[in-house]
Amino acid sequence: MTAPPAPDTPLALQVDALEAAYEPGLPIVRGASLTVQRGEIVAILGPNGAGKSTLVKAVAGLVPVTGGRSLLFGQDITRVPAHRMVFQGLAFVPQTENVFVNLSIAENLELAAAVVRADRRERLDPVYAMFPDLARQRRLPAGQLSGGQRQMLAVARALITRPRLLVLDEPSAGLSPKLVGLVFDKLREVRDSGVTVLLVEQNVKAALALADKAAVLVEGRERLFAPAAELLDDERVAALYLGRHTGRQAQGVQP
Amino acid sequence: MLQILADGLIIGSVISLGAIGLSLTLSIVRFSNFSHGELLGWGSYVALSALAVFTATRESLAAPLGPFSFGWGMLGALVVSMGVTALLALALDHVLFRRLRSQGSITLVIASFGAALAMRNLLMYWYGGVPQYYTQNLQISIPLIPRSIGGGLRITADQMLVLVLTLATVTALHLFLRHSTLGRSMRATAINPALARVTGIDPERVLRATWVIGGMLAAVAGVFAGITVQLRPTMGVDLLLPLFAAVILGGIGSVWGAVLGGFIVGLAESASVSIVGAEYRAAAAFVVLILILLVRPTGLFGEKH
Repeated sequence: MTAPPAPDTPLALQVDALEAAYEPGLPIVRGASLTVQRGEIVAILGPNGAGKSTLVKAVAGLVPVTGGRSLLFGQDITRVPAHRMVFQGLAFVPQTENVFVNLSIAENLELAAAVVRADRRERLDPVYAMFPDLARQRRLPAGQLSGGQRQMLAVARALITRPRLLVLDEPSAGLSPKLVGLVFDKLREVRDSGVTVLLVEQNVKAALALADKAAVLVEGRERLFAPAAELLDDERVAALYLGRHTGRQAQGVQP
Repeated sequence: MLQILADGLIIGSVISLGAIGLSLTLSIVRFSNFSHGELLGWGSYVALSALAVFTATRESLAAPLGPFSFGWGMLGALVVSMGVTALLALALDHVLFRRLRSQGSITLVIASFGAALAMRNLLMYWYGGVPQYYTQNLQISIPLIPRSIGGGLRITADQMLVLVLTLATVTALHLFLRHSTLGRSMRATAINPALARVTGIDPERVLRATWVIGGMLAAVAGVFAGITVQLRPTMGVDLLLPLFAAVILGGIGSVWGAVLGGFIVGLAESASVSIVGAEYRAAAAFVVLILILLVRPTGLFGEKH
């Protein structure tokens, strides 16, 4: 089974005034909007507690959406349950615990292929070609992998489903700068293979170097959304991280 | 001495099969199902009724097979009971547990106590409190080892079959969990439900599979208890604590752990009968449990949970 054919729209993802809450009445994401063009890498930045993770989890169907909507290649996926997202062409990589530690590398990947009823060989071979380290250790339990290898396996597992949009929640979390570089190189490779990428990042510099565009999220809403190259020298990014609100931005803050 | 071992393995078979289902429920549905023991009780009585129907329609089904005390009808009744008990487990989930799942595991545990009471008393109401047997045929036990060696060992053909079928069932389940997509989905959901959903695994389908497998194994365990001991409406509650002891001993979520835990509890029970007397039988399981948990708090095969 593969994702439905992409309609003729350059918009991979359109998030419209999305609101999401773990508990009713306590919204974490409060009307966030952003768009991801096909073939782009878009990063979501922002200080701790800004709702970055909750935003991508809401898009992936893991957190209840209380308002707004999200469209994947023009199709409304706002109410699609998390376990149906891979069938829509969206693959999500959680921040932590993103591999099945009781299964081997091969079993992790085979399971992902079997769930979407795809041929194992046909799906696994290209992914092994992209991740030769994983191919070498395929019988190893995922629980024995290092942090960097785990992150690679998590990305590989997501790619098995042949997504049109790959969403990652902080793929650099807990990795050394060198490993972050390796993971980001892989993400560029993924983008170049035709997969659109949306990721949450803490590491502003690295993320802006990787992404085509970036959104800065504060208190559940995007305050800046611009090409990454422009944001690299934009003082407003640092100001938002430090919680200095300019007059215009302060209006958006709920009392 | 050898006899204690053999008896322990036979009690252990019943406990193992029941404990696997309980362990799967604990790790996948994520609550301690105190009504799981009643599924064993129901499994044994459903088979009794099915057997009665079979033998009433064709008398030849009751004729003993070779050295066994029962005929083809018993095997048919076992299959019927597996199906009915699986449906019963699904129905329980549908009318009770499913609706309470969002309330947290304590609510589910208390609800399962209520379900257990209701199920046990329905059995009592329909079948009466007097112990029953699948067959009145007497079985002569076969002396496998003469008395001069370790006190000797006698075992009936029925008991041998129970042991063999238990090992066959556990092996089949092991292969299913290891190699089938549904089995791997169950293991994936047990270790990381959120990642399982993201991978595209339907959580409801996994839960249904868990109830069906737990129900079928409970039916087999209940029938084996009926064959090797007797049928009592209180079978479920009597077995419940040994089942929990076996699960915790083996490590929650581990199939082989539940099997090994079941056999250890079975052996402890049969040893205590001859060493300290039958009254302390139930305590034996817990002494072993406490001793092992002091050394290995996660159980013998415990994964981090």
